Amino acid sequence: MDILIALSPIVAVSVGALLLMLAEAFSKQRSGIALGAAVIQASGAVFAGAVWIYGLDALSGLDVLKPWLIVDRFTLFFDMLICLGGALASLLAGGYLREHRIERGEFYALMLFATIGAMMIASAGDTLTLFIGLETMSIGAYAMTAFRRGSQRSTEAAVKYFLLGSFAAALLLYGFALLYGATGHTDLAGLAASLKGNETQFPQLAVIGMLLVIVGLAFKVSAVPFHAWTPDAYEGAPTPATSYMAVAVKAGAFAMLMRVLFVAFGDERSMSWFAGWPPVVAALAVVTMSVANLIAGRQESVKRMLAYSSIAHAGYLLVGVVCATRGGEALSSVLFYLLTYTVSTIGAFGGLILCGSYGKEAVSYEDLSGLGKRNPAVALPLAFFCMSLAGIPPTAGFFGKWYLIKSAMDGGFHWLAIIALVNSVFGAYYYLRVLVFLYMREPAAGAPVAVPMKSGYVAAALILAAVFVVMLGLSPDSAIDVATKATIAVQ
Amino acid sequence: MGTDIPLFHYVVLSGILFAIGGIGFMVRRNVLFSLLSIEILLNAVNLSLVAFNRLRPQNHTGHILTFFVIAAEAAEVAVGLAIVISLYRLKRTVRVDEADLLRN
Repeated sequence: MDILIALSPIVAVSVGALLLMLAEAFSKQRSGIALGAAVIQASGAVFAGAVWIYGLDALSGLDVLKPWLIVDRFTLFFDMLICLGGALASLLAGGYLREHRIERGEFYALMLFATIGAMMIASAGDTLTLFIGLETMSIGAYAMTAFRRGSQRSTEAAVKYFLLGSFAAALLLYGFALLYGATGHTDLAGLAASLKGNETQFPQLAVIGMLLVIVGLAFKVSAVPFHAWTPDAYEGAPTPATSYMAVAVKAGAFAMLMRVLFVAFGDERSMSWFAGWPPVVAALAVVTMSVANLIAGRQESVKRMLAYSSIAHAGYLLVGVVCATRGGEALSSVLFYLLTYTVSTIGAFGGLILCGSYGKEAVSYEDLSGLGKRNPAVALPLAFFCMSLAGIPPTAGFFGKWYLIKSAMDGGFHWLAIIALVNSVFGAYYYLRVLVFLYMREPAAGAPVAVPMKSGYVAAALILAAVFVVMLGLSPDSAIDVATKATIAVQ
Repeated sequence: MGTDIPLFHYVVLSGILFAIGGIGFMVRRNVLFSLLSIEILLNAVNLSLVAFNRLRPQNHTGHILTFFVIAAEAAEVAVGLAIVISLYRLKRTVRVDEADLLRN
């Protein structure tokens, strides 16, 4: 019984996904499916919250799950985060898919199964469960990307995403296979123990294995130079699928990265600056932030700009990951940043969805010209969430960045903090450009203008995301408290 | 086990397979060849997992992982081929370099 309680978030979503598929097959009425998917994922988050409050110490018999699944506060935090992102994305899908005449129930089933995969990654304690979770999540995401079957862009995006995604999975697996050869362990705790005790039989294999694993992880979190798939996949996919990939899939990938780096490679030598992974990840972080911001500023498509912005945010998150090697608040700042990033990104994509309609989708900056004057209520969400992504107070995005950079300073990584700060200042340019087009430009004569859509689903998702953004921006203390408790398990 | 082939040979073979798969993936522009290259990469993974399991014959960790890799890959390739078919229907080609609508 205790095990069932501990696993209740993932069980709730799994059972819900199966029921949703049944309901979709037998019901004539389509419009409720999106709400169902949102409720199922929200219930996953509620269950995770309930287990959090109930306390894991009160649960006995969880040792049976070892080493395959770990249920700790880190897991529960990511369960809540992933379910929140997924629920908001399915609300967006409810409005978008209907408007663009691709409303089919499979989309929500795929999303729910991808959510299960991401939650499984968050609780994985062994390479085996990590891999199964990763594949479950990725396969769902590939299919969601290809969902608009008649569109060349959607299919092309899916091909690129699929090829590089499975290539990355193969790199990751080969890395784990070599580590297994060197240590005899596939479970993360066992790996850590043998790396720590220097019990590896073939140290060279272990080093190559770690390197391959880090490259595979970098692909999955779309760090430069392994980011090539991201802009294409994000641009071509239907916008709700993009928003899902940008939040839930990214949260899953970061859960995997942190679990592997801090648990499996968490021994003193692997975490040292001279013989371990921190310099590699630091280099990735610097390159990711700088390159993504440079390229993002030169995009003409807002959707593609948001894709590069999500790469840049992965760079900021990696800064936090590097700083966390010295303990302190850095890791909790990463989790908090992920939370603020999730709600801001969902909102930005939702705002973009709201600006367009069937056949007149808002894609480029030009499409948005003058929308703020023609239709202020529609332009406001996009402007608001872009401000949060840019990190303008008093939004959640500001506080996330401030906390991240502050904890990097406290940890003694002044140079990384300064690079992150400079990047976020430059990064604000392309978000503010959206505002300039919305409010200060007039559309060129005869140019096709985006016609806004109307949808209760999208509006609901935007209001929920806005509530989160404002709340996290004004009183972040309780969320930071939760994030701090979640990090105890991995530090 | 009698006159066994040494473990080292398996490791080298899997490394060579991995290199072939990796190079194939980067060089070939045909999606079907990319899919084949990914399969070769995963075979390298499976071979090394099974070979390394010989060092620790008391448990079957490597064997079990191999089975799961095979199963998960079958599922992944099914989705991949579906995407490729969908690409072919729309563009009458399975070459990645001719799918170039998405760019900066």
